[in-house]
Amino acid sequence: MRRALGIAVFTAGVVAAGTGAAQDAYVIGVTAGMTGPAAATYAPVIDAMKAYLDHVNAKGGINGRQVRLIITDDAGEPSRAGANAKRLISEKALMVVNSSLSSTFAPILAETKRAGIPLYFAGAVCPKETYPPADPLQFCSTAFGATLDSQAALAFVRSQAKEPVRLGLAAMAIPIARSEIDYAEGLSKTLGMTPVEKQITPPPAPDYTPFATKLKEANPNWVYSWAPWVSQVRTFEALRRLGWNGRYVTWAHLNAEEELVRLKDGELYVFGTNAFFQDDLPIHAEIRAVTHKANLKYPTTYLTEGFIAGLVIESVLTNTPWPPTPAKVTAAMNNLKVDLKGLRGGPLEWTKDNHFRTRQYYRVWKWDPAKQAVVRVQDWVPIDVKQ
Amino acid sequence: MLVYRVSRVISLAHGELMMLGAYGLFTTASLFSGHPLVAIAVSAVLAVTVGGLVYLALMRRMTGESVLAAVLATIALGILLRGTMVLVWGPQERHPLQALGWANTSISIGGTAKISAVSLTLVLATAAVYLGLWVFLRYTRWGIRMRAAGQNALLAAQRGIGLHGIYALAWGLATFTGGLAGMLIACDSALEQTMVVIGLKAFPAALVGGLDSLAGALVGSLVVAAAEVLLIHYVNPLLSDVVPFLVLLAMLIVRPWGLFGTREELDRV
Repeated sequence: MRRALGIAVFTAGVVAAGTGAAQDAYVIGVTAGMTGPAAATYAPVIDAMKAYLDHVNAKGGINGRQVRLIITDDAGEPSRAGANAKRLISEKALMVVNSSLSSTFAPILAETKRAGIPLYFAGAVCPKETYPPADPLQFCSTAFGATLDSQAALAFVRSQAKEPVRLGLAAMAIPIARSEIDYAEGLSKTLGMTPVEKQITPPPAPDYTPFATKLKEANPNWVYSWAPWVSQVRTFEALRRLGWNGRYVTWAHLNAEEELVRLKDGELYVFGTNAFFQDDLPIHAEIRAVTHKANLKYPTTYLTEGFIAGLVIESVLTNTPWPPTPAKVTAAMNNLKVDLKGLRGGPLEWTKDNHFRTRQYYRVWKWDPAKQAVVRVQDWVPIDVKQ
Repeated sequence: MLVYRVSRVISLAHGELMMLGAYGLFTTASLFSGHPLVAIAVSAVLAVTVGGLVYLALMRRMTGESVLAAVLATIALGILLRGTMVLVWGPQERHPLQALGWANTSISIGGTAKISAVSLTLVLATAAVYLGLWVFLRYTRWGIRMRAAGQNALLAAQRGIGLHGIYALAWGLATFTGGLAGMLIACDSALEQTMVVIGLKAFPAALVGGLDSLAGALVGSLVVAAAEVLLIHYVNPLLSDVVPFLVLLAMLIVRPWGLFGTREELDRV
């Protein structure tokens, strides 16, 4: 009897301590494609974000409180993402972070809207609801931005081209990439370019030679591709194998810096909004130190996006008074300015109507065969994000 | 095809075993940095060994069970392998050719056509493997035993042929050829998790040609590949994933046992 009572008291104490610890922490829920076909895109973001927040916790936390991350894996599957969101809400998450395929957005959003909890896309493509006029509960810090990216890319092409541009276009058969490349096709005509061929490749394709063959036959002197990296780079490599010698401009995904070194092609241009590690900024040293301590298995150059997500969450929670509630977190997110320490061209700013950012900055890089190094071809060019 | 011909089991883990072979090459290339030929030889031996181990550890226990149970076991094996590969090597893209220290140059053929060096190697390797398998099955003692076990396992066993050894050899050879394909495909493009899709496309090729026919698999592959490339080029690129299965459906309607398969095989399945 006494033994049973002792066990009961001990158990109650453990539960109470756990509950108290949870209540004493900012709880952030994450549902991400940690496994599955797109894990290479999303898992590094979450791992880097976690490493940064663990680092913040080790330094004493935020406002004297720890940040508790609950990470769930949806493997890019909508049903799992919806179930994860339910679980995270039941565990009193103040915010749900999504880093997964766009097919997971709807089920997560259904749950977070019902619960009145902000949904933060970090590493996942920014839905148009984060652009002005923004949905009250959707926020996004992911680097790439629909329509803005094509504006930046084609402006670069026009600045570099010394002859009339015959533009080839390549994308993957997913809605966001198709609509972006369709937009680019229309935009290119207004800029005096001639779109000569557009290839939409299925996800995934084991061999891109057939698609590259059609592109090459149209004889473009420039090709613009906006798609997951695998589609972008395989199309490029297939074009080169077929003997095409033109210039290729494409979005700088997580692995772009490393891939430029691997490919060593002087006519491959990548454009993006995150600074490369070759800049060797103080923040890059910090990323290296933090992620080395966390023993992350990804190359350091993959981790900028996740670090930015960590900086954003830190800033949001710093401005969230205790005790936190989803409404207070949302209020903090509606009036946010995060110093990214050079990781992007400027601070990340969210307002009540703009949950994407007020200004997007772009750089362009390529491999320089003479210097045997990645070089910056164009420094930060800002584009205002308007309604 | 080889595994089916010998043991009447369709291995649905072939795509994963193909990918495992590629990861094996990536690992040996990193371990034996500066010695690419050693890396390739070791990865080939590993591929054969893995196939034998798959049989000894898993498929041997399925001997005598229903074909469906054995096929389900291969599905489970495939899922297990896929998860294990993600855990061991991570989800990011790998480049075995770069690890070997080689480049994939472009070769001109006939003035206008171009092919990559690795693609050309793939074609030549396929021809060599086919020739080797044909010679092995037709003229060597173990090859004849393998054909005997495939025709009538009970009679073969009664004649003193060790079935477990034959089946293990079949799995070893099948895993080696699949692994070799995976290695070359990974060298030509890159190595990542979606490579299993290529393994899926191998089934229509084998079924179109006839599940128990070596020559049929070759002809079936050419038919499926030609249909895929032509439809991509002249109709719509998005058909590339469905074309192999459309061809398969058409063949199943017209000639279910395939171009060169034996009709009784269909009844058995």
